[in-house]
Amino acid sequence: MITAERKPLAEIKESIASYKKLLILGCGSCVAECASGGEKETALLASQLRIDAKKEGRTLETKEMTLDRQCVYEFIDQLAGVIGEYDAVLSLGCGAGVQAVAEVFPRAHIVPALNTTFIGQTKQAGLWLENCRGCGDCKLDFFADVCPVTRCSKGLFNGPCGGSKNEKCEVDPDTPCAWQLIVTRLEERGKLDSLEKVHPPARWSKKEGKGPRKIAREDQRT
Amino acid sequence: MNTKKDGLSYAFFFCQQLDAAQDLNRRSLEKELGPRIRFFPLPCSGRIESLHLMRALETGADKVYVIACPERACRHREGNTRARKRVAFAQRLIAEIGLDPDRFEFLVASALPSPYIDKVARELLARESQVDPLPWGNKEREAPKEILRKEKRDDYRGEKAPRRNQREHRLL
Amino acid sequence: MNLESRLKMVLSAGHFAVTAECGPPKGADPDLIRKKGNLLKGFVDSVNVTDNQTGVVRLCSLAACALLREEGLDPVLQMVTRDRNRIALQSDVLGAAALGIRNILCLSGDHQSFGNQTDAKGVFDLDSIQLVQVVREMRDSWRLLGGEELSQGPDLFIGAAANPFADPFFYRVLRLRKKVSAGAEFIQTQCIYNLPKFKEWMGQVRDRGLDQKAYILGGVTPLKSARMAEYMAQNVAGMDIPDEVINRMKSTPPKQQRAEGLKIGVETIQALRQIEGVRGVHIMAIEWEEVVPELVKEAGLWPRPEI
Repeated sequence: MITAERKPLAEIKESIASYKKLLILGCGSCVAECASGGEKETALLASQLRIDAKKEGRTLETKEMTLDRQCVYEFIDQLAGVIGEYDAVLSLGCGAGVQAVAEVFPRAHIVPALNTTFIGQTKQAGLWLENCRGCGDCKLDFFADVCPVTRCSKGLFNGPCGGSKNEKCEVDPDTPCAWQLIVTRLEERGKLDSLEKVHPPARWSKKEGKGPRKIAREDQRT
Repeated sequence: MNTKKDGLSYAFFFCQQLDAAQDLNRRSLEKELGPRIRFFPLPCSGRIESLHLMRALETGADKVYVIACPERACRHREGNTRARKRVAFAQRLIAEIGLDPDRFEFLVASALPSPYIDKVARELLARESQVDPLPWGNKEREAPKEILRKEKRDDYRGEKAPRRNQREHRLL
Repeated sequence: MNLESRLKMVLSAGHFAVTAECGPPKGADPDLIRKKGNLLKGFVDSVNVTDNQTGVVRLCSLAACALLREEGLDPVLQMVTRDRNRIALQSDVLGAAALGIRNILCLSGDHQSFGNQTDAKGVFDLDSIQLVQVVREMRDSWRLLGGEELSQGPDLFIGAAANPFADPFFYRVLRLRKKVSAGAEFIQTQCIYNLPKFKEWMGQVRDRGLDQKAYILGGVTPLKSARMAEYMAQNVAGMDIPDEVINRMKSTPPKQQRAEGLKIGVETIQALRQIEGVRGVHIMAIEWEEVVPELVKEAGLWPRPEI
């Protein structure tokens, strides 16, 4: 999923300082999974902001709503009758969600409450790890399903570097060395010789290409 | 024990396992303090959500207690551990907005005198209060049911969009 | 000009080579490099110049190598892939050759989070082994990555680094083999304090005949003090300093630690000369370059052979 974290409260407060009526909008997909922008987190943030307003003697009226997905117009459209009654929308969606909502309602001020971080997995409750960088040219099959682009701090395709210590990356002792994992897995499978040939440089054009990427499927379009 | 007449409002979230007759046992204090005290029995302290504490404070509680079963005595194994973490999280949230985190206090029951909830609440009320009254006046009182029940969601979905079930579960 | 790599000539003539590392200044003054170069002149066969080592911005290796070239030294351009994409890397390779630099050491580089520009984007468009391959292709086939022809290929003696002490140990030699088949002709290793482990690694290297395919130079860093030994053991990635060495330094009175460190350095070099397959020593005395002449002399490696 896409993971995100709530912005520091001071940043959020600054962005909404002038507003008295706020629609606080959560998202039920990725950010709910990583406990940053789901219905629960929306309610918590709303409560926090209301208490804060009371404490500072400000008026703040809020409404909490959570869309199934903030990045799909089908759900964003549900805001049509609602959004006009508020000074602004504080969105707990990821960057994609915030922008999509802003596109549907360009005259509304959509304030991001989260910092979108990475594509990752839930490793255990409360722990999310980055494991994909969306390079557009998936090579997991060459690397025993451990992504070197993402999980090797130097993105080596012919690693390991030589800086790892106790099987952990030189950059962060909590991070396992991706190449340690790759090499060990291949060895266990008896496939270490697949690393003999030099893996060629990446095709970054699949990621950087010509600016922001798009996927267009004619068979899916109306 | 006389209840402290300090004018503060209190909320008590507690595990029902601590007092089978809590419904009865809390009536005496409810009568004495009226709207200044609210009791929220839980099937397990682990059912507490940080949001409950926030809402209790928002609706006027100057001090919120969460009372859990002793370590290793939770009928659901980890409920009390979870409760502790959620109280700590709620403390961070109010500290972030400049309120004293001690307004939320997590306690583990030690002895279980009878009637438990009455005795324990009175003991806590008799303590020297370490928090000030909330710095705003006009505290709304919300009926206890409103805090624990999931907030009623307005029907904003209109007639068209089919409703997908909200992912309510977490991994634990 | 038709210059040749002195390092290549010394090694192919069968001599035990001596290279040393030289750290460029954190400033624009060329004289600082020239001074270091002249300190080392005559005591080493070639001088490596580090490339923004540990992600700290310094006078670039390419310029420093060009300055050393002017002073009559044979520089080894260290090139990391952390800071430049494939366009810049290939471009700099051509530039280096045009400036008369005849040796290149291809590295991935320390991660940018260690340096003084921690918000920088780490490029890593290529890794060290891909870079070796690219340089070899440029030199031997006069072609860039992608196949386009060059008007003239760069004349470079290609090197790579090896760390016999890193994880996973069983894979280190396989990776070395990969570097050599990609085109690495000389190898400079991480500094050696754990001789038994290094000998074990060399055994594996010889088993695969890699010592016949590339010139292995063992790395040596003289210890200045016991504190330096402890610091390096704890903080430098991929370093293996056995307790005996640390204790030896610690049990020496502080005023004599420098001399003891040098002694250990000399002993290491002498041990390396006895190991089959080791064709030279690479002395990394960063910010202590002045100790190199003494070390080389004590180890009996001075004067350097006439080529």
